[in-house]
Amino acid sequence: MTLRAAEHEVAGWAEAVEAYYERGWTDGLPVVPATAEAVQAFLDAAGRKPDDVVLREATRRRTITAEKVAINAVMAGCRPEYMPVLLAALEAMAEPRFTLHGAITSTGGSATLVVVNGPIRKRLGLNAGGNVFGPGRRANATIGRAVRLITLNCLGALPGLLDRSTQGHPGKYTYCIAELEEENPWTPLHVDRGLPREASAVTVYAAESPHNVLSHYGESAEAVVVAIADTMASLGSFSPGESFVVLAPEHVQILARDGWTKPSIREALYARARRTRADLKRGGKLAGAVEPGDDTAWVHRGHGPEDIHIVVAGGGAGGHSAFIPSWSRDRNSLSVTKEIR
Amino acid sequence: MTIKILDPTVSAEETAGAVVAKRVGDLDGKVLGLLHNGKVNADRLLDLVREQLGARYRLRDVVMIRKDSASRVADASDLDRLARECDAVVTAIGD
Repeated sequence: MTLRAAEHEVAGWAEAVEAYYERGWTDGLPVVPATAEAVQAFLDAAGRKPDDVVLREATRRRTITAEKVAINAVMAGCRPEYMPVLLAALEAMAEPRFTLHGAITSTGGSATLVVVNGPIRKRLGLNAGGNVFGPGRRANATIGRAVRLITLNCLGALPGLLDRSTQGHPGKYTYCIAELEEENPWTPLHVDRGLPREASAVTVYAAESPHNVLSHYGESAEAVVVAIADTMASLGSFSPGESFVVLAPEHVQILARDGWTKPSIREALYARARRTRADLKRGGKLAGAVEPGDDTAWVHRGHGPEDIHIVVAGGGAGGHSAFIPSWSRDRNSLSVTKEIR
Repeated sequence: MTIKILDPTVSAEETAGAVVAKRVGDLDGKVLGLLHNGKVNADRLLDLVREQLGARYRLRDVVMIRKDSASRVADASDLDRLARECDAVVTAIGD
């Protein structure tokens, strides 16, 4: 089947890079020119036809086909074998509970965090270790970037038009990590979410930036939990929404050594990540004046321990974990996991 | 050597067959719909709209519907009710 996208002839490679800028088709960084040959190779690698529908967004009335996904993946710098991850991520973003339209429009300025689990991590060379949220690996950098380019080019989430983020955050350029399952003594994220361990999976989450949790000197699980819960309870991002906690291997070792499990960590974090109604009012998180009883009325982050999702990632040295708050202040958008096929 | 690049964008689909509601000349004897987007203070804004329009026209009735979440589109049943019962609808974002 032939490709359907309109073609634009340009004088050469360098001119093509400039042409993308002139047409407003980039995220601000140069892109790789997407030729028909390259796009076809991406479709072949995924075993998809150009007009296979990958995602429909009803509010914006957009239908994204495999061909458009492949074009943007080429532009992002992906390799053809990354396509299955990208397709699964987009299928997850299309789930109604993700609330794609709201997540990519809101002043809250979220980015789509993509977490990859399973054997595909190693096949694609995804980074789950040191500098996991930072630069350096093609697969992480370009899969996350492709999600953003599709959000811009196919969903029209252009800054100032259908993306009204007040500030946004750097994860809006790219935001893709893998879980370091080899350092996880418990179950990895995709198993928590009902998939077999040997499956490969992607989880998408409309997310704020990572908030660093530095805890170096306590040398006990208690200290790690105190520091994470305090970060989760900070007023800036406080809400009843979901939480992702990305535990560094050093913190994982301390927690496991002291006999903690995922359920006990979740329970402890939920119990401690709380503020009084009075605090929430003083900080402008709730409307109205502080009233009698507000100082003893507690509000927790999330609806329960099950709203806290634990992932292991990061380098071998350093007590730096991360708390990633949801964009959604409650149930408007929920994380979604899909198997990569 | 020239190269050809492919258009990466997707346009909004046409809403074929969609008909714009007939415009109303005034609101005398008409039913006004107010769609609250679910954000804080949207009720205040819409109350003001109700008050101002009520002072200017003899409204027959006012229907107020509140969305659960500003991030989600209104339920089809709510939109159907507004279409069925109202002559004109005002929606507003509060915060």
